[in-house]
Amino acid sequence: MRLVDRSLPFAVAVVAIAAGYALSIGLDGYFVYLGMSAIVAGISLLGLGVVTGSAGMISLCQLTFGAVGAWVVSALNAAEAPGGFLVWLLLGGIAAGLVGVLVGLPALRLRGINLAVVTLGLAAAADLTLVQLQFPGVADGLSVERPDAFTDDRSYFLLAVVVLVLCCLAVHYLRRGRWGSGWQAVAFSERGTAAAGASVRTSKLTAFAVSATLGGISGGLLTGQVGLAFPASFTAIQSLALYVLAIMSGAHLIDMAVLGAVLWVGVPELLKRWGVPQDWGFVVFGLLGIQALTSGGNLGTAVRQLWYRRSREPATLALAAGTTSAEPVTPGAPVLVVRGLSVRFGEVVALSSVDIEVPEHGVLGVIGPNGAGKSTLVDAITGFLPNAEGRVELDGRPLTGSPAKRARSGLRRTFQQDRVPPGLTVEAYLRFVARRRVSTAEIAEALDFFGCPAARIPLSQVDVGARRLVEVVGHLLARPRVLLLDEPAAGLPHSEHVAFGERLRQVPARFGVSVLLIEHDLDLVRSVCDTVTVLDFGRVLAAGPQAGVLADPAVLKAYMGETELL
Amino acid sequence: MLQGALAGLAAGGLYAVLAVCLTLMSRLVRVVNFAQSATGMFGCYVAVFLSVQFGLPTWLATVAGILLGGSLSALLGWIVSTWLAEADTGTRSAVTVAVLLLLISLSFILFGNKPQPFHPILDGPAFTAGGVVISQVTVVTVVLAVLVALASRLVLTRTSAGVELRALSERPTTAELLGIPAKRLSVAVWAVTGVISTLVISIVAPSQSNDATSLAMLVVPAAAAALLGGFRRLDLAVAGGLVLGLIQGAAAQVDGLSVVRYFLPFGVIVALLLWSQRKEVWDAAR
Repeated sequence: MRLVDRSLPFAVAVVAIAAGYALSIGLDGYFVYLGMSAIVAGISLLGLGVVTGSAGMISLCQLTFGAVGAWVVSALNAAEAPGGFLVWLLLGGIAAGLVGVLVGLPALRLRGINLAVVTLGLAAAADLTLVQLQFPGVADGLSVERPDAFTDDRSYFLLAVVVLVLCCLAVHYLRRGRWGSGWQAVAFSERGTAAAGASVRTSKLTAFAVSATLGGISGGLLTGQVGLAFPASFTAIQSLALYVLAIMSGAHLIDMAVLGAVLWVGVPELLKRWGVPQDWGFVVFGLLGIQALTSGGNLGTAVRQLWYRRSREPATLALAAGTTSAEPVTPGAPVLVVRGLSVRFGEVVALSSVDIEVPEHGVLGVIGPNGAGKSTLVDAITGFLPNAEGRVELDGRPLTGSPAKRARSGLRRTFQQDRVPPGLTVEAYLRFVARRRVSTAEIAEALDFFGCPAARIPLSQVDVGARRLVEVVGHLLARPRVLLLDEPAAGLPHSEHVAFGERLRQVPARFGVSVLLIEHDLDLVRSVCDTVTVLDFGRVLAAGPQAGVLADPAVLKAYMGETELL
Repeated sequence: MLQGALAGLAAGGLYAVLAVCLTLMSRLVRVVNFAQSATGMFGCYVAVFLSVQFGLPTWLATVAGILLGGSLSALLGWIVSTWLAEADTGTRSAVTVAVLLLLISLSFILFGNKPQPFHPILDGPAFTAGGVVISQVTVVTVVLAVLVALASRLVLTRTSAGVELRALSERPTTAELLGIPAKRLSVAVWAVTGVISTLVISIVAPSQSNDATSLAMLVVPAAAAALLGGFRRLDLAVAGGLVLGLIQGAAAQVDGLSVVRYFLPFGVIVALLLWSQRKEVWDAAR
């Protein structure tokens, strides 16, 4: 199974190159030229699939990156730089990648539609500039020289196929690796990404860089195809069309990027043969794009559903009470110490001078009515509220800095909201959150322990309650010093709370992790926690061993109101 | 420089009107309408077509074009509010990207890709100030920008329809449960902005580069202006549009800035935006 998994992409690549060779000798000359155009568009779409499909950022300037690649290739050709076309092509890709990082920088603060406007503005400005400047060497009619072995159209087509296949392989492995998981994670939730110890900045910038590099390579390849680069190939309108095509075809899937490219070239060509003006091509794309957006699907997902005929039943938990229990460990010295933590939102004091200690191998429960400041406490400890006052110490060392940095130092958290990216499989997500090498056996064992769905299942098919336990499992696999759980059982049916509690009880012994548990279900707190801290209106109402705290009249009053005591 | 800047003010007024439309759309119907100026362009082209082919008087053709622009926009609004009622702003706006593409291609098919023989509705200078000539078009667009912004503000704060619209934009589901006719109001907003953008493009198109692509891409500087107000504030959108026009006009006079001038306004807006959004570290509030 693993061997098949590992060698399959290469087998597909070899078949693709063989097919490319067959096409390059078998096709009519005119179609070979069209094929080149399709490949150029395919590489561009592949890049767009990374930034828009995987990382979820609207980028409307894909062809601007293409223009950068074309510019570099033309300039190097005009300057008769050493290295030849292939080196220039690579340099063009790298240059475009650098520009992509620059364009990606605003994306760290601008999101959604603001970013779309900025990228469209860049595309329009670049468009006007190119018309004014023209590409280097064009005025003198200096045609770009193809590499010696690939001078005629047929062999150049084969070269283009090889470049496309290499790009597809690169994207395939990047998407399966840490970067790819980071893209999916950042598309779904930036806070969730940071909580997993991954840098939001890196994820966004790598997505833009990879996307732009592919764009640049595509532009360079086009220059080699046509010989001279013209601004008309890189207009803002075509960038828009490419974006619509990417949305419509689902270009984050490699096969769909290639199919989209075939449509890109094929639709106008068919129209031409039927004697219809080629402008209808964009009308068709526009209508299909609107259709895809309003129905919320795309070609890729539609085709895959037909292919797999997957059951639409969401995967659920299989938690049963009574598991093999590990030897409990007695709690030791405090590992997480919080002193004088205060948080203000304007005039509202959300937390006021809170002290908390999580003992080594212990489970501390934090309870309190709604609005007591429990989630704010977790946010402040994990660095999501930089304006919080007070000291946080982990293992006796002060803990400061960004949430990602704290997560890497061994302080992890889960969220009350669903922050698990649906675009990944369970396994890919766990590996991403764990941030260390974990064996398949270890993953299977941990999932099994919490009754979670199998590792190969896509998270989009896992129900919300189970998804939040998968999040817990991922952070446990990271082996942090302390894990803060924000109402982990909220999505579970009440019958499974007991079984979940049994497992939580064993976490310190099994995973060597100390836990801070926020929970409303007092039965769960009773069965799991050694010590309890009660918050009310942002202050510590009571703290200490569980039995004493839960019997404290002040605590009962905060929870039940006065009348319950009569 | 001054002459150039004031020459750019006509374009500035146009940007400002479109920016106000974009801001209204963003605030009231949760969409950044990339097809805002494309709808206007299409309406104008139909008007020119009617007057050239059927010999309609210019004013009548223009009115017909404006009505068509409004109906096109309303149709688009109907599509978006029917199928994407619950979708996020990004998806709703992506639809308008597809529509922008569609309208440009349609205008190429129907009217060719050459600039159109527009009959100017307004022509000639309005007055001369300090040796600089101010054209009628400039005066009208700037006044229109301010008027539209003020009128929108009045409608939103002083009328019951305005209150309903604000409720609808902030809590669509709650508003619907209160019995506010969500779809009808949304489509009305689309229609009104369609009418306004067609009107202003009809006024300015004869004196601008008026091929389909240029007119449709007016949405870029307009969006840049609207960004200044973060797609929320009408006054900043107007100011942004006017300043953008002034800067572009002034930069056009300086040879050294010839290429930079395309990027200049945008760079400024991005910088301002990054400054205003500098605290937006996370994508979600919690």
